Amino acid sequence: MFHAFFRSTLPVLPLLLVLSPVNSSSCAMENKTTEIHVKYENILIHDINELVNISAQNRDRCCKNKNDKNIKVFFCNDTQEIESLQSMACNMLRFFHKQRISKAFRWKAAFVSCGTLQVLKCKCEGHRKEKICPHVNVFGKEDTETGEQSRKKCNQEVCELKENISSLRSCWNKFEKIISR
Amino acid sequence: MHRKGDSSFSFHLAPSSQPLFSGKKSTSWLAVSKTTAFCGNTVPLYPWTSWAAGKMSFIFMCGNSQSAACLLHCVTLQLRKAWLWLFPAPAVLAEVKCVLFNEEYMNCTWGSRETLKANYSLYYWYRNTSNKVECKHYRQDQDIRVGCHFNQNEIIQFQPFHVLLKASMGGSTLEISKRMELQDLVKPDAPVNLTIHNMSNNQLQLTWATTYPKAKCLEHAVKYKSNKDTDWMEISVNGDVFSLPSVDYKKFYTFYVRSKVNKYCGRTQLWSEWSVPVVWGSNSTSKSTVHWFWIHTVLIPIASCVILLVLVILLVRMERVWVILMPRIPNPSKNFDELFITHNGNFQEWAGVPKDVVESFKPNYSENICYVSELPPKDSYDPLWESSNPPPSVMPSASPAPGEHSPYKNSYGRV
Repeated sequence: MFHAFFRSTLPVLPLLLVLSPVNSSSCAMENKTTEIHVKYENILIHDINELVNISAQNRDRCCKNKNDKNIKVFFCNDTQEIESLQSMACNMLRFFHKQRISKAFRWKAAFVSCGTLQVLKCKCEGHRKEKICPHVNVFGKEDTETGEQSRKKCNQEVCELKENISSLRSCWNKFEKIISR
Repeated sequence: MHRKGDSSFSFHLAPSSQPLFSGKKSTSWLAVSKTTAFCGNTVPLYPWTSWAAGKMSFIFMCGNSQSAACLLHCVTLQLRKAWLWLFPAPAVLAEVKCVLFNEEYMNCTWGSRETLKANYSLYYWYRNTSNKVECKHYRQDQDIRVGCHFNQNEIIQFQPFHVLLKASMGGSTLEISKRMELQDLVKPDAPVNLTIHNMSNNQLQLTWATTYPKAKCLEHAVKYKSNKDTDWMEISVNGDVFSLPSVDYKKFYTFYVRSKVNKYCGRTQLWSEWSVPVVWGSNSTSKSTVHWFWIHTVLIPIASCVILLVLVILLVRMERVWVILMPRIPNPSKNFDELFITHNGNFQEWAGVPKDVVESFKPNYSENICYVSELPPKDSYDPLWESSNPPPSVMPSASPAPGEHSPYKNSYGRV
């Protein structure tokens, strides 16, 4: 009798493993493209453009000379734009505590990351979003650093952040293009 | 190569030299040592151009110190300078510019026949540098490659697009690499099918269509003016409808439209070309305006000149017309020739006044002149009547003949 029990139940476990989604998305706005579209066009796009302008102020000549293999590149995969945006936004939160990056730059980057995660209602591994985003207030008034801080020496982390920002912006453009009908 | 003293070298360029220092132009000198060790000051190159049996000598000096690696670095740098001095690098390498036309094909260009002198090769890749692909469709201008054409299946947007342009000339090769985002280089085609609709309240509505695959990703600009305006009005439009309120039916309007990818789908700054224009308004107004313009500026001046010319000719050739236009000033002196010549100015004689009438006007009495003067007043007032002369009497008389003395001439005011 016990042999029969185990014979009947044992195959269920592998079946559960096969049927369970391997990479389940932790974003809750998968099918709500209209709402994402409205929030992106009315709110998020402006912060992204400001972040891109700040990124452009940082010297990028040194980034061109650095070995591209050392910089992690994110791709906006077809049919997986939301997951790609989530991955880029979560990765960008890593730079929030990097002291070699100017405070204005990394705060704005964190602000955009949190905005992206909020619009898409996504989470990050290690609760990074919950640890950082509550501390990122409205950007601009609290930060008193001038543009001179943004002209710090170029380093690997700055190059990585610039690459991350460029990928995030492109992926948002791609997603917006897909959902615009 | 020979070493002279402690730190100077002489170098001979000749076909028989060893490969590392060969004088053959096909050898690439650009693969120099990458050591960045500090090697001290080096003296600039002193080319010693002596062509003897096909050999050229260069003498240069390196710093005093140093390790063999440092000396080798110095030597290779000087050799590179010598080579570049002999064979200057191609004066080339314009920037690579790519434009994605309506997401159907892409052209990347790097110059023109007038500016380019070398052989070019373009390589591109998206993700992995190991997947470099050479351009399959070069654009040529008289056997010089000036650009590359990409088909739609070779284009991937929203991924970093890398190009590597190699220019080779005279054995040396220069490279330029560039990274681009193709969605930021899109240039849509011009809008088509511009249509004007008459709405109520003197309002016009302009609509158009686009061949761009994602119409919602476009923003548009409408340019219009009437035949009475001097400058164009340009308005930005997000949708594909433009409304113009309060149009004048007597005017003639012309509309143009162009498109650009909006900021939500990319960061391109490339506008499309202006569309084929569409017009609205009264055609007759425009025609009559044109006719009136020709009448005012051409016909009337010419007609006026012709008429003037005819009149001048008539004036010169026909005395009858001259007399009518320029009548003679009448001269009455002939009528008075008889008065002055025959009658010596005697008007009565000339007028035919009878002699007895003339005689009757002549006075037939004589009269003494009575001088009247006023004496200074004394005690009594009676100076006037003490004079021996009788008091003058005021008698109405005919006006004296011309030339005769009148007794009342001086005392007229005393009466």
